[in-house]
Amino acid sequence: MSADPFDCALDLLRRLNPKHTASHLNGLIELAPDLTEDLLSAVDQPLKVRRCKQTGRDYLICDYNRDGDSYRSPWSNQFDPPLDESGLGGGAVPGERVRKMEIGANEAFDVYRELYYEGGVSSVYFWNLDDGFAGVVLLKKASPQGGSSEGVWDSIHVFEASERGRTSSYRLTSTVILSLATKGSLLGELDLSGNMTRQLEQDLPVENDESHIANIGRLVEDMELKMRNLLQEVYFGKAKDVVGNLRSIGSLSEGQRDRDAQKELIGSMAR
Amino acid sequence: MASHKEIVSSFIEGAPPGELTDVIADIKALTIHEPSLVKGLGPAFEKYNEEQFTTVKLPGGSQLVVVSEHSALGGGRYFDVESSTSFEFDHATRKASAVQSYVLEGAQSDLVKSTIKALSPYVKEHFPDAAYGAYPIEDDSKVAVIIVGNKYSPKNFWNGRWRSLYVFDPSTGILEGSVKVDVHYYEDGNVRLLTNKPVSQPVPSGTGAGIVREIATTEKKYQEELNRSFTNLSEGAFKGLRRQLPVTRQKIEWEKVASYRVGQDIGGGSSRR
Repeated sequence: MSADPFDCALDLLRRLNPKHTASHLNGLIELAPDLTEDLLSAVDQPLKVRRCKQTGRDYLICDYNRDGDSYRSPWSNQFDPPLDESGLGGGAVPGERVRKMEIGANEAFDVYRELYYEGGVSSVYFWNLDDGFAGVVLLKKASPQGGSSEGVWDSIHVFEASERGRTSSYRLTSTVILSLATKGSLLGELDLSGNMTRQLEQDLPVENDESHIANIGRLVEDMELKMRNLLQEVYFGKAKDVVGNLRSIGSLSEGQRDRDAQKELIGSMAR
Repeated sequence: MASHKEIVSSFIEGAPPGELTDVIADIKALTIHEPSLVKGLGPAFEKYNEEQFTTVKLPGGSQLVVVSEHSALGGGRYFDVESSTSFEFDHATRKASAVQSYVLEGAQSDLVKSTIKALSPYVKEHFPDAAYGAYPIEDDSKVAVIIVGNKYSPKNFWNGRWRSLYVFDPSTGILEGSVKVDVHYYEDGNVRLLTNKPVSQPVPSGTGAGIVREIATTEKKYQEELNRSFTNLSEGAFKGLRRQLPVTRQKIEWEKVASYRVGQDIGGGSSRR
């Protein structure tokens, strides 16, 4: 039995340098064109920033606010470049109720962005589902240029809200793409880049549409706190530990002697 | 547009430490209708093995020896000075065969041998899992020194490699080279550490012991600096991207989030980046 090509493509992207996911993705699409749609929707890439022509505010673009070659601004609800009005439906925009929630969520996450990121750009996009709605919360922050080190953080939180009377069931998939690089005369060059994904499901009470925004806000806030701790552990703890496993700064035989001596000491105390 | 062969060759070149077999399996499944593609990957495998200093156990031997362009004899054969052998290396299966005795002669042979003699205890004291070698290069005018340490823990979703390559030029007394660290962590994600530290140091004594002493000092200093940079990145760039909690040290009260704007100049996405 041969392995599923789509799974193999994802496995490959999980192994190859995450800093160059975009070019690996292009290569995979070239090799297996029939996987194009599935790969583009399954693989998260760093977000791009665009300025809204109507409001002058920056927003983030991704597959979720795209229609053809145009992207919808969350601030104006307009597509850029404008879609041909005579075309089919004038682009995918959420229904009136969901757009109202989308406006509220963009305002709420703009506050969230300022409090946690102290800069950067945020965008929230909602769309209708048969039994509720879904959306994506996007956050991006790049460290100021010109420092000795640089970093870029991209958060992509995709959720589905299934409404069941007074409760709603939320399914959240969160990815953070974090790239860090630094250099120096003693250090040479160092690049520490990657992405991590986590999922969770939770049922929460809903009184009105505003409680949806509060629920999604709390879910994203808790998830980002968890993921920030995880990233810290993997990027700075795990990576350093593995380097220490490759090469020991201290002498290995002395380390072994110390461990043997300690074992003996513990043994003698136990007797 | 890159050809299919270029694409899969670049995937081979980018395989993380210890994961070449997995990468090849993925490529095979993705190019099942184009079997000639994988069959034509010989040059990509050779490049990977020589650049990554692939290690191999010789038949009947216990010690690992290094495959690199500096130990290549041509025709798929490589040599190892410490064991005084040469061997054939299959780049696709990464297995050694057809071992023969190989006696090093020439102008640099004494320096090569004394370097290896000093290298052996140094590597054993600092690398739990490593191979090393020294080789005369460039028409027997210089000496190349290689150390490669690998640790693979696929069950815990991490693998790592430390690669050192130095070239000592007896005519100038300068030791030049680089240390490269490659760490891959891939549990529920894909995180990669890649480093490159160029080295250029004089070795006034010009002896094997002197070369290894310089390598030991350089690598110790480098690893200490690398450890410091993890702390610096964590405390600096990482902290600057996203706070753990807002300045208030409290999570957001989402029911009141609209009122956060009152009396605060929070600013929109366009005013600050």
